Order: sequence, then structure tokens, then C-alpha cells
Amino acid sequence: MSERYRTGDRVRTSTVDPDHHTRLPHYARGHVGTVVGSDGVHPLADLSAQGVQVPQQVYLVRFSARDLFGHGDHNVTLSLWEEYLSDE
Amino acid sequence: MSDDHDDSPIAARVRELEAVLEEKGLLDPTELDQVLEAFAHKASPANGFRVVARAWVDDGFRARLLQDANAALPELGLSMGGGLQVQRLHVVENTEDVHNVIVCTLCSCYPLSLLGPSPTWYKSPAYRSRVVSHPREVLEQFGLTLPGTTKIEVWDANAESRYMVPPRRPEGTDGLGEAELAALVTRNGLIGTAAV
Amino acid sequence: MPRINDVGGRDGFGPVRQELDEPPFHADWEAHVMAMNRALIRREVYNLDEFRDAVERTMSHESSYYENWFRAIRTLLEEKGVV
Repeated sequence: MSERYRTGDRVRTSTVDPDHHTRLPHYARGHVGTVVGSDGVHPLADLSAQGVQVPQQVYLVRFSARDLFGHGDHNVTLSLWEEYLSDE
Repeated sequence: MSDDHDDSPIAARVRELEAVLEEKGLLDPTELDQVLEAFAHKASPANGFRVVARAWVDDGFRARLLQDANAALPELGLSMGGGLQVQRLHVVENTEDVHNVIVCTLCSCYPLSLLGPSPTWYKSPAYRSRVVSHPREVLEQFGLTLPGTTKIEVWDANAESRYMVPPRRPEGTDGLGEAELAALVTRNGLIGTAAV
Repeated sequence: MPRINDVGGRDGFGPVRQELDEPPFHADWEAHVMAMNRALIRREVYNLDEFRDAVERTMSHESSYYENWFRAIRTLLEEKGVV
């Protein structure tokens, strides 16, 4: 499976508030972060929770706390499916 | 473990459902006992302690662990395959400048095979809500005060990967062997809510 | 509206409380709920994401962790017509 993003790329997370199971936490929606690595290919959790298996690339994406919460000097890293991401 | 006589209402309801599932052939009492046995004996923070002690004394192992933890664990007879599927493990090491802390903000993802069953506080909304936005404040609640110059990296185990934190090796431990070093490590240290 | 489980960055849950010398399970039934869930997922009665979804739809912060699990298991088994 080809990877759309590479380490160092800046990506923006989706702002969609889905009415189903998802693994994109609310606090990380609509923010810009940096891809810090690949995290393998896994069935997209949103669809798997509905019994549909669609494997998709997952990325490790790092955000600054200031961007996420408006304060803090730490970083937060999450594993995000390609579905949740778009170009900055 | 299946012959308990807990008389609480929920224990009775659990036994009732087990009986129904057994009748339907969806549950086998011996299988249930096997899962419980495996869980009780194989999943323990002692595994994590051994991994950290080895990393402290063996630079080659440490490098392999940080590079590809799943490939390095078998050197100690360990794996991430004890659960439903093999999970990818990221080992994120504390240094003089960086302190790592693990959370699962959406549920309770945790490296069971290396750390054993997770403590209730790890699964609590109090921890999960706050450590991601105010890690210094939460670490203070655990009695861990970090220098202002230390960068905190929070890892939200929100998908398929799991994390473990090797703490920094305490000073004055040069003469200790691997087993003695392993005895210094704590479960909270492996999560990042204690210094060691 | 984010789901009830999606607590990252939210206020109002108070300080973290640690239980000293906490046992892996507080009662045998909790271990049984954990083992039952593993067995049902292994038999593909439902998958792990369906289980997480069911927890999110049925959980309460007032219930204990394994009470929430048990409620989710029952809900899934009912929805799938197993019991």
C-alpha cells in the first residue's frame, strides 16, 4: 500500500464529528501536526466497528500542545488513519 | 477461578450469561480458564522490568529495542502477541531532556503483555482527560516534579500501537546486576508517571 | 457531540486517584468478563471495534470499568441475536 504522507509532512486533521465510532479524538480535530512516522496498515476502525474491513495506512502525527489546547509546552503524538488527514 | 462463589448481583448475572453462552457452544469453560491462566501468569509488569534492565546494561539491545521493539522482545523470550492480535510496540525512552508519558484518551489501550493488567487510575477519566492537556499538573499528582527545561512528550495510544517508557537509569547503580536493576523499576515508571 | 468516552482535554473529572497495591481484578466476575470478551472476539462473534463502539454507546462514568464492559457485551449479543 502506498503512503500518501512522508515523515516531516504537515497534515491537517478532519473537523468532522461523526455519529459513529472513531479513533480521531475530539481534541485533535481540525489541527495541523507533523508526520513523525508510519504506524502500519490497519482496518479503519470507523468501518470495522460497522463490520466492514478496509485496511488503510496509519501515521504517527505529532502536535504541539499550544496548537491543540492554546497552552502548554509539551507535544502530543497520536496514531491517525489516512482517512482523518488532509494536506495542510 | 471459575468456581468462585461471589454472591453479588452482577457476579450472578455474569455466571448466568456464561451458562447461556456455554449452552450455545460459544464459550468453553476450559477455554475461559486458559485465558485467565495465561493472563494471570504471563501478563506481568515483571516483563517490562526485565526489558528495561537489559536495555540499561546492553547498548546493542537498547538500540534494537528503540528501533524495532517487536523484533527485540524475543531476545528475552517475550512478545506482543499475548492478546487478540500482535500489537506494535513503540518504546519511547526518557532522557535528560525528554520525559515520555502514555495515555489512551479514548478507552484504555495498554501493553498488557509487558505491564500486566492496567491500574484503575490509568482507565479513569480523571487521568485520561487531563494528562494530555496538563501533563505537568498530573505528574505532580503522582509526586513527579520535572525540571521546567524537560520536554514532555505525551503518547495517545488511540489506535493499534502500544507504548512503553524505559525510565532513566538511576545514578549510583553502576555495580548492580540485571536482576537488581529490574527490581528498581516500577509499573508507573513504565507508563511515565514515576521517575523510575 | 463527541462520545462520552472521548475525554481528552475535557475539564471536570477531578484529580487522579491511585489505589495502593491494587489487585489485577477486584472480584472474580471482572476476570470472567474480561475472559468472556476475549473468547467471543476470538470466535468472531463480534470484533474489537464493534466492542469498543458498544462500550461507547452504553457506558456511564458512574459505572465501574468492567460493569461497562459487561453491559456492552450483553448489548452486542442482543443486537446480534445471540441471546
